[in-house]
Amino acid sequence: MDAVIKVEGLRGGWDRLPVLDGVDFRVMEGEILMIVGRSGCGKSTLMRHMLGLIKPWAGRILFRGIDVWSNPDAMLNARRRWGVTFQSGALLGNLSILENVMLPLREYTDLTEREMITVAFSKLETVGLAEFATANPMEVSGGMQKRAGLARAMALDPEVLFFDEPSAGLDPVTSAKLDNLIKSINRSLGTTVIIVTHELASIFAISDRVIMLDAETRGIIATGTARELRDGSTDPRVRAFFRRNVGEESD
Amino acid sequence: MSGKLEYDEPRVVIRGVLADTDVDYVRNFFRRYRSRILDSGRLVVDFRDSPGIDSVTAVVLQGFCNELRRAGVRVSFENTPRSVMEIFESLSKFESAASDFKNRVSLGETLEFIGRSWYEMASTVAGLGRFLLETLGAFLQVLLTPMKIRWHMILYYMEESGYKAVPIVATLNWLLGVVLGYQAGYQMRIFGAENFMPTLLAYSITWEIGPMLAAVLVAGRSGSAYAAEIGTMKVREEVDALRVMGFDIFNYLVVPKMMALLFVMPFLVLLANISGVLGGMVSGMMFLDLPAGTFVSKLGGAVIPLDILWGMLKSVVYAVIISTVGSYMGMRVRGGASAVGRATTAAVVMSIFMVIFADAMLSLLFVHIRPGLSF
Repeated sequence: MDAVIKVEGLRGGWDRLPVLDGVDFRVMEGEILMIVGRSGCGKSTLMRHMLGLIKPWAGRILFRGIDVWSNPDAMLNARRRWGVTFQSGALLGNLSILENVMLPLREYTDLTEREMITVAFSKLETVGLAEFATANPMEVSGGMQKRAGLARAMALDPEVLFFDEPSAGLDPVTSAKLDNLIKSINRSLGTTVIIVTHELASIFAISDRVIMLDAETRGIIATGTARELRDGSTDPRVRAFFRRNVGEESD
Repeated sequence: MSGKLEYDEPRVVIRGVLADTDVDYVRNFFRRYRSRILDSGRLVVDFRDSPGIDSVTAVVLQGFCNELRRAGVRVSFENTPRSVMEIFESLSKFESAASDFKNRVSLGETLEFIGRSWYEMASTVAGLGRFLLETLGAFLQVLLTPMKIRWHMILYYMEESGYKAVPIVATLNWLLGVVLGYQAGYQMRIFGAENFMPTLLAYSITWEIGPMLAAVLVAGRSGSAYAAEIGTMKVREEVDALRVMGFDIFNYLVVPKMMALLFVMPFLVLLANISGVLGGMVSGMMFLDLPAGTFVSKLGGAVIPLDILWGMLKSVVYAVIISTVGSYMGMRVRGGASAVGRATTAAVVMSIFMVIFADAMLSLLFVHIRPGLSF
């Protein structure tokens, strides 16, 4: 298997506040990689660096061997081939759900209006929202907003799908359904998936591999499958996280 | 149940639980017995009949005890339940922190605060300059590829910022025209010069008041709306979503607003000028016995095409200022709903300030381009 994305020696943070220092990892073709850790450990910051929303202070983020921060074209090329689902769905409130899904198609393709609508409908079908196509994003539930966001992320058949906290604010059943949807997209289309989360249930349900970040070391403290980390790790921070155990904490 | 205090020299016996409703009672009690306690030089706070205390009353009680200690009274506690001890311990731990807190506004920090606000203002202005350059860059790029112009967005903003502003711009300028005409005519009549009112009115409205008032109204209506719209999109991660989809934020969010204002502002100014002058005509007819015919003929002799054009030209500058400042303030939003509110306010204040500043500069530089008024 090849690495789709390589992160090398990444250093970064918000404003002048350092959050990450010396982060290295690879994302393999077709896997579901979960970036986990406790609140404030820098997992969302890491993702924002990867997505090109905050410039890293040092280090490289390579997509198929090209540093996305090296020039605007590389960034644009990466963004065309990535899909991102934000925590809140981040649908544009002044457009209908269908229009939202059509946005990337409108920007990047020369499809006619009818063709775009057809593609957008088929993406909404995949996430089970076809009958809500004309609704305003504000009129549907949080789970539906996330699914609509996923449909928009999938509009251009991305090679990599990013998720920021897909379970946040969802009940366990809806969250599990979303997990299954992500897994089925990953298995049927071969899409590489990167998920930032701290939801143990989803980590065990669908992750192929997990990397765990820690606020104090500002970097990765463990890598492996969820079960390996839960059963095999000797690091008290990892054990505490995977067993929801406060007592093993060093502080 | 509320508690009671009894003074039995040197003891203060607490009966029952002192609750947060007893604060005044405790204060009055200690005020009453203060001199007696000071005379005796000793105070024993006795909790033998009290199982506990509310932390609100405890902090008051402790304040009196500390004050008496400083005055040389030996204060001790007796029969204090564990829970009460803990409350007092935790209160005394934070007492010094609280007094530090109060004294924090020192000269150094005031200076730091002033310096910081100046720095923030300077960085806002610098950021605004950069933002303006990037917007103009995106604007020129769009002009080179007219296929990429988002006409439907431009039409939308033209309707929102232009068409819907017509009633307010027309009404307010008309009213101002009436008032100005009346004021000017009333004073000029003393010299028998009310016949010059139309010329003066037309000049002041077309050169200053019409464009200015239109710009202030658009800044208030649309500058704030732009800031709120972009600010909310920022808070809801919509701006990030657009960026990761590869959209050029300037092209998508800022340029349509600017183009729309560039299209509508000149016409709003034209409308402002016309309604202002019409207002002056009405006040001339009503208050100054100046027939409409005379008014119009006076106007015809005085107004030159430059008067009309100049206001429309200035409005182009105002359009750039208002759309840029509104969008920039929206882009700066970070955090939650209150940040959007602050951005909206900042957008209006800043764009009105900059509009008036730009107007002052333009007036100083170009006042000579108009030949003298002919009466």
